[in-house]
Amino acid sequence: MVLKQLGLALKYLFRRPYTRMFPIKEEEYVTGRTRARHILYMDRCTGCTACQMACPADAIKMYYIEGDYPKNRRKIFPGIDYSRCTYCGLCVEACPVSALVMTSYTMQHLITDDKKTTLYTPEMLAKPPRGKHLVTLEKKTWTPPPAPLPKKR
Amino acid sequence: MNKTVTVFLGPQHPGAPGNVSFKVVLDGEQVIDIDLIPGFLHRGFEKMMEYRRWDMDLVMSARICVEDPDHVELTYTHAVEQIFGIEPPEKAKYIRVIVAEFSRIASHLLWLMHFAGPIAARYAVGWAIAAREEVLKWFDYITGHRIYHHYIFPGGVRWNIPSDFKEKTLKVLKTIEPLVKDIEVGFFKHPVFQKRAMGLGRLKPTEAIRLGATGPTLRGSGICHDLRKTLGYDAYTELEFKIPRGEYGDAYDRAMIRINEIYESMNIIRQALEKMPMDGPYRWRLPMVMPEGEGIGRVESARGEFVAHIINYRGNQIGRRSLAPYRIKFRGPTMPLLTTILKYIVKNEDITIADLPVLIGSFDPCPPDIDR
Amino acid sequence: MKCFDAELLDKLPEKYRDKLCFVGSDTGKRHEVTVDPEDIREVLKTVLEAGYQQLVGITVIDYPDQGVFELVYMLTSIDKKGALVTIRTRILRDNPVIETVSDIYPLAYYQEIEAYEFFGIMFRGHNGLRQWILEDNWAGPPPLRKDVDTRKIVLELYYGGKRYERPVQNRSLEEHGSWGEKQ
Repeated sequence: MVLKQLGLALKYLFRRPYTRMFPIKEEEYVTGRTRARHILYMDRCTGCTACQMACPADAIKMYYIEGDYPKNRRKIFPGIDYSRCTYCGLCVEACPVSALVMTSYTMQHLITDDKKTTLYTPEMLAKPPRGKHLVTLEKKTWTPPPAPLPKKR
Repeated sequence: MNKTVTVFLGPQHPGAPGNVSFKVVLDGEQVIDIDLIPGFLHRGFEKMMEYRRWDMDLVMSARICVEDPDHVELTYTHAVEQIFGIEPPEKAKYIRVIVAEFSRIASHLLWLMHFAGPIAARYAVGWAIAAREEVLKWFDYITGHRIYHHYIFPGGVRWNIPSDFKEKTLKVLKTIEPLVKDIEVGFFKHPVFQKRAMGLGRLKPTEAIRLGATGPTLRGSGICHDLRKTLGYDAYTELEFKIPRGEYGDAYDRAMIRINEIYESMNIIRQALEKMPMDGPYRWRLPMVMPEGEGIGRVESARGEFVAHIINYRGNQIGRRSLAPYRIKFRGPTMPLLTTILKYIVKNEDITIADLPVLIGSFDPCPPDIDR
Repeated sequence: MKCFDAELLDKLPEKYRDKLCFVGSDTGKRHEVTVDPEDIREVLKTVLEAGYQQLVGITVIDYPDQGVFELVYMLTSIDKKGALVTIRTRILRDNPVIETVSDIYPLAYYQEIEAYEFFGIMFRGHNGLRQWILEDNWAGPPPLRKDVDTRKIVLELYYGGKRYERPVQNRSLEEHGSWGEKQ
């Protein structure tokens, strides 16, 4: 009665296990679209706070930074709190000058044992990450056409 | 003398389907009455969504149902598109169908984990999770995330598909299919499982309609009702597929329907890949300000009918942002399953406490969508 | 406006027959009628006889500037290929009382408990109104009303009135080293 099931059990007994041994033996699984840590281009940012108004998790806060940035008269730049960010990408879509991009430097590298390292100031965001990464989400590669809305009554 | 004992089958119990608890009244080993106690997963979504704009609300709405998030995004998208008064482009409809069907496959494989685990069939759990891992890697390749995608967006889909989409998708389907066949032979045709599940929890068709069942529970009793065929939204009107249904309405029929639905979903995906137009726009850009109006979105999720009702009104508000929608209400498919139907079955049939995991698991409940 | 369901049109009471209209687009196509709150039980019994056997949900909307609560009952039919009917009524905000329909539709028992705990509406004839989802979690006014600002209540109760801002430490992960690299 259970011979078929016993045969299946023997077939799966001699297969290799399905576990991915990260980080000891293998690399993490990253594709060309994985969204993780941001990079901020401080010479393009104008301080309009559109990214802060677009974040659903309230993770962006503006900081006052002194320096020679001619496009930014208010001298404020965004900093991201990674313990609240959901990696949705709405801040990248909202920025009108494409100063924020997302890379694939993922959370498997950003796991830490100290919570104080999860709050990133604008200067820390402006430095590109040290390991291998790809830029996966930027605004200038797509702008969809406007919708054909019905005429108003 | 009063011989009944009241037991609290709490939220940390391995036989409970998630984070809900039941109050069970026992007489010896027989269950006399059962009551649901929800509220452990209440996060207050409906109030939180009244403080945020409509595109930020899509990111929040995906987190209502953990196992099957794409259908919640789809129903929210339908309601918003009805308020704006637009239809998505052709290419986007086919991509939405493919993403939604993969989400249904992943949800049914996760159901196997919740169902086979508590009844001591741990071998099927490993095979199902291995198959689901391939589907999650495919989601990472298309949308960027594994579980909550935010890919189905009002106006179309958010980004274009890559150039090797067809080959990669067919390869994923070819990898999953032998695993699902092995699960069907190894678990569903096992004589011990058949003895445990056949004849348990019979639901007659008229009672199932009256108590509010939708989805695989209703189809297990013999009624052929599926919103993908009767209402026909997105690209389902141009695809041909069968609807699996059962005969007796017991727990075994309800479980067999889900395996047959995985095969039908693979069939739908292969057809949609053939018929999809490769050129054309994939997204319309919508303005940030939503007009006044009302929209009701209904889809067939993996568990039943999911409904979103959105109302926008610009009167004299008290203390809220003027860009946020006025009222959003969701109704998930699990509420009639665990309240009215369970009480009816327990009162009309002899159920012992050892039958409870098989009975509750055959309904496939998702507790987050009772509490939201 | 046009109406496509002759059976429903026959069975409705006299005074609502010319108010039935067909609205909506895409998956939201439905018949809709607005009734007075005293006639709600009679209208729902006739809708049940016309073939709409499942209650999908009861939505409550709060209009504080007009001083009303609006209740929307959504009903669907399996025989008629998933057709939808919505019935709307309005009750006063200062004394919100309406009759229960939980003996006509079984699922209304639980949807009315939810309307009671989130908005404060009393249902006459319902014997189980209590805090069900919010039990032991909330002791304030009904939260989904528009004049209750839940953000301010939580801020004052748990954070002493001020929002906590994390102090800047300027320690990035790469200088500290993650657990993956500290082998």
